[in-house]
Amino acid sequence: MNYMPGTASLIEDIDKKHLVLLRDGRTLIGFLRSIDQFANLVLHQTVERIHVGKKYGDIPRGIFVVRGENVVLLGEIDLEKESDTPLQQVSIEEILEEQRAEQQAKLEAEKLKVQALKDRGLSIPRADTLDEY
Amino acid sequence: MFRYESLEDCPLDEDEDAFQGLGEEDEEIDQFNDDTFGSGAVDDDWQEAHERLAELEEKLPSAVNEQTGNGERDEMDLLGDHEENLAERLSKMVIENELEDPAIMRAVQTRPVLQPQPGSLNSSIWDGSEVLRRIRGPLLAQEMPTVSVLEYALPQRPPQGPEDDRDLSERALPRRSTSPVIGSPPVRAVPIGTPPKQVAVPSFNQQVLCPKPVHVRPPVPPRFPAPYGERAPPDQLCGVPNSSLLGHPFPPSVPPVLSPLQRAQLLGGAQLQPGRMSPSQFARVPGFVGSPLAAMNPKLLQGRVRQMLPPAPGFRAFFSAPPPATPPPPQQHPPGPGPHLQNLRSQAPMFRPDTTHLHPQHRRLLHQRQQQSRNQHRNLNGAGDRGGHRSSHQDHIRKDPYANLMLQREKDWVSKIQMMQLQSTDPYLDDFYYQNYFEKLEKLSAAEEVQGDGPKKERTKLITPQVAKLEHTYKPVQFEGSLGKLTVSSVNNPRKMIDAVVTSRSEDDETKEKQVRDKRRKTLFIIEKTYSLLLDVEDYERRYLLSLEDERPALMDERKHKICCMYDNLRGKLPGQERPSDDHFVQIMCIRKGKRMVARILPFLSTEQAADILMTTARNLPFLIKKDAQDEVLPCLLSPFSLLLYHLPPVTVASLLQQLMSLPQGTAAPAPSNPHLSTVLQSKFGLSLLLVVLSRGEDLQSSDPASESAQSNPWTEVMFVATRELLRIPQTGLAKPISIPTNLVSLFSRYVDRQKLNLLETKLQKEEKGESMDILVQPCSE
Repeated sequence: MNYMPGTASLIEDIDKKHLVLLRDGRTLIGFLRSIDQFANLVLHQTVERIHVGKKYGDIPRGIFVVRGENVVLLGEIDLEKESDTPLQQVSIEEILEEQRAEQQAKLEAEKLKVQALKDRGLSIPRADTLDEY
Repeated sequence: MFRYESLEDCPLDEDEDAFQGLGEEDEEIDQFNDDTFGSGAVDDDWQEAHERLAELEEKLPSAVNEQTGNGERDEMDLLGDHEENLAERLSKMVIENELEDPAIMRAVQTRPVLQPQPGSLNSSIWDGSEVLRRIRGPLLAQEMPTVSVLEYALPQRPPQGPEDDRDLSERALPRRSTSPVIGSPPVRAVPIGTPPKQVAVPSFNQQVLCPKPVHVRPPVPPRFPAPYGERAPPDQLCGVPNSSLLGHPFPPSVPPVLSPLQRAQLLGGAQLQPGRMSPSQFARVPGFVGSPLAAMNPKLLQGRVRQMLPPAPGFRAFFSAPPPATPPPPQQHPPGPGPHLQNLRSQAPMFRPDTTHLHPQHRRLLHQRQQQSRNQHRNLNGAGDRGGHRSSHQDHIRKDPYANLMLQREKDWVSKIQMMQLQSTDPYLDDFYYQNYFEKLEKLSAAEEVQGDGPKKERTKLITPQVAKLEHTYKPVQFEGSLGKLTVSSVNNPRKMIDAVVTSRSEDDETKEKQVRDKRRKTLFIIEKTYSLLLDVEDYERRYLLSLEDERPALMDERKHKICCMYDNLRGKLPGQERPSDDHFVQIMCIRKGKRMVARILPFLSTEQAADILMTTARNLPFLIKKDAQDEVLPCLLSPFSLLLYHLPPVTVASLLQQLMSLPQGTAAPAPSNPHLSTVLQSKFGLSLLLVVLSRGEDLQSSDPASESAQSNPWTEVMFVATRELLRIPQTGLAKPISIPTNLVSLFSRYVDRQKLNLLETKLQKEEKGESMDILVQPCSE
């Protein structure tokens, strides 16, 4: 049955493997098992994938129920092409370590920038004081 | 026999003595007893059913008639009602044809059940269930005899009196904060976001009936002949000789309870082959139908949940019936077997906690067995899960044990909601981009079809229902006879928080900055207003086509009026006759959106109005160019301007050129430098506009034989000055024009001699090659 052609109805996506990007930046990969009218998702055999540079690591998470408003985008994963990627999979510990290092570097850079601006008498309001959107 | 820990006293347990007597009989636990640890334990509670049978004689005849009256309709509704007692309804429905048997009549209890309003579930979401009801009704009528056997096995509740209401209200959906009385429109019985009702299992603590599962061996059914001689299941059913329970058509070696995986798998299998509903399939189906039911039976016989389906045979009867109905109209009733299965499946897991009432050891063993079967099953299907090639992709889907967790019915339900959201009275207004996109696609495909003779690609199109607009005026509820005004606020009538008052401040108080900011805000505001007008005007064509004959003049007038308004907005309305300063317009043109808007408005303006706009633009072009440095939107104006130019008379074109190049008026001596012109020439838009103007002038000149001879042609005069200026231009980079008219050479050849023509040509050629940072050959001095 062709559900609602020409629309973004998720019904045709059920039982397929999807990559879901959440508003908080997490990337989840799992089988979409159920939806509802708010696009709340039920993901099965979910894996949270952390990307750092050219490496990535998968953390198995089980079953996820995602509230629809927190989804930025989602897309079906082609199972054949899934393994065809230039990225390199590493262990969880390693990727978490990489992520930590990346966060650290970002913070340092940010700090330097803020300091430099301060020296010049300028200030940029920090993101967390602004509205999240 | 095994002992139970009764959770709470059962005040309705009439035959307490009998129960206790039974409990005390056997102290030993027989671990290998099928009744205890196998299918018997979970599936069926013959003891309690037996008890029920014993109680029958003591029952007073209850008023069954009114129940059976509307039982027909409601009992079918397994899906919609959330307070139903499926088992009882079904049984009641069954019974209505068995009036000759007083025992059965008496067996049925009257239970006041809260009936939802007949109209409350009219929402189209529930249409499926409506349809479903019709199917099952007549079919079920045939299966009375078989089902009625189970009457004895069904939990019988003696009249409960006040407890009924409590019970039912606990089962009802919680009252939402918007009560139907105060403030809001009537609440639907089922709020729109509610998923399809799966038979709710209220918490066990709320059950007042005796929790003890009791095994019941229903009597061998001599009095109820096999109803379907031609179908397999009843044969199986009645054929199993030692079937202590009618609910076990298969040998105990089959796992009594299918895991959700197995069930889903079978479900998937069953659903994938809707057309092959043969008795052989029925044979398979009851197999798994039976087991989840079997799982439910202990619950059933404990009398806990009234909403449970009757044990397997009755249900099988149910089950066999719809499938024959589905193949003929497969499209209309896709959720034929689905809801049943879904109910079963949904109920089965819920009854897992049932085992808490079993003896702990018993429970453990049961779980162990279930785990084993689950693992076995998983091992079988685990292989096909990973890494599919295209060919095995389908296999992957088929082998996916978790597939179809979301049932067809649920998918239909969601898609119904989505379709409802698409209902609109004016799709062009509500869903503009979608409509436009599909129109474009269709035009494309139509065009392709015209060209090629390929087969037409069937593009499935979504047909959105168009509904008539219903005006809902919401009137907040008012109380009569109340002292003072009672404010009742709800979602439709929110309470006013703050009265925001707009105060305009005087000019003196503000600083210059604020004034500037306010001015910009005002300009933005004007742009927005004008944009709305523009969108309306653009829409008139479509409305014109859709409207009736008599409405059309009115439409045209409206359109004209709006166009005038737009123009006034652009130029700045002033009471004075004289055209106001350019300032207003320039302000609009400084804003990116304003420029694009002007480009869109131009086609609608009259020639004079448009010419005026063009003039103003030309006059202020350097300023605008400077302001456009970041946006680079001016080129969008080129095409409407060129279009306009073709309608302008020569005089206008001449004066336009003057403005554009800021040529000295009359016989005044040319200024030493012409920054206006240089800015214009350095901008892509400016240069292109200039060239277009020149080209137009040339066209006019050459096309009009009369003016050719006359030397006092304003155009000619201007051209002389223009060429002089052009030659005078210092060595600066010229922009690359958007398009170069072809007749420029002939244009200039009129006015300059050979040498200068060469120079101009070189300039032009270099422009053509797109070398923007050209250095002109050399300035030519006259």
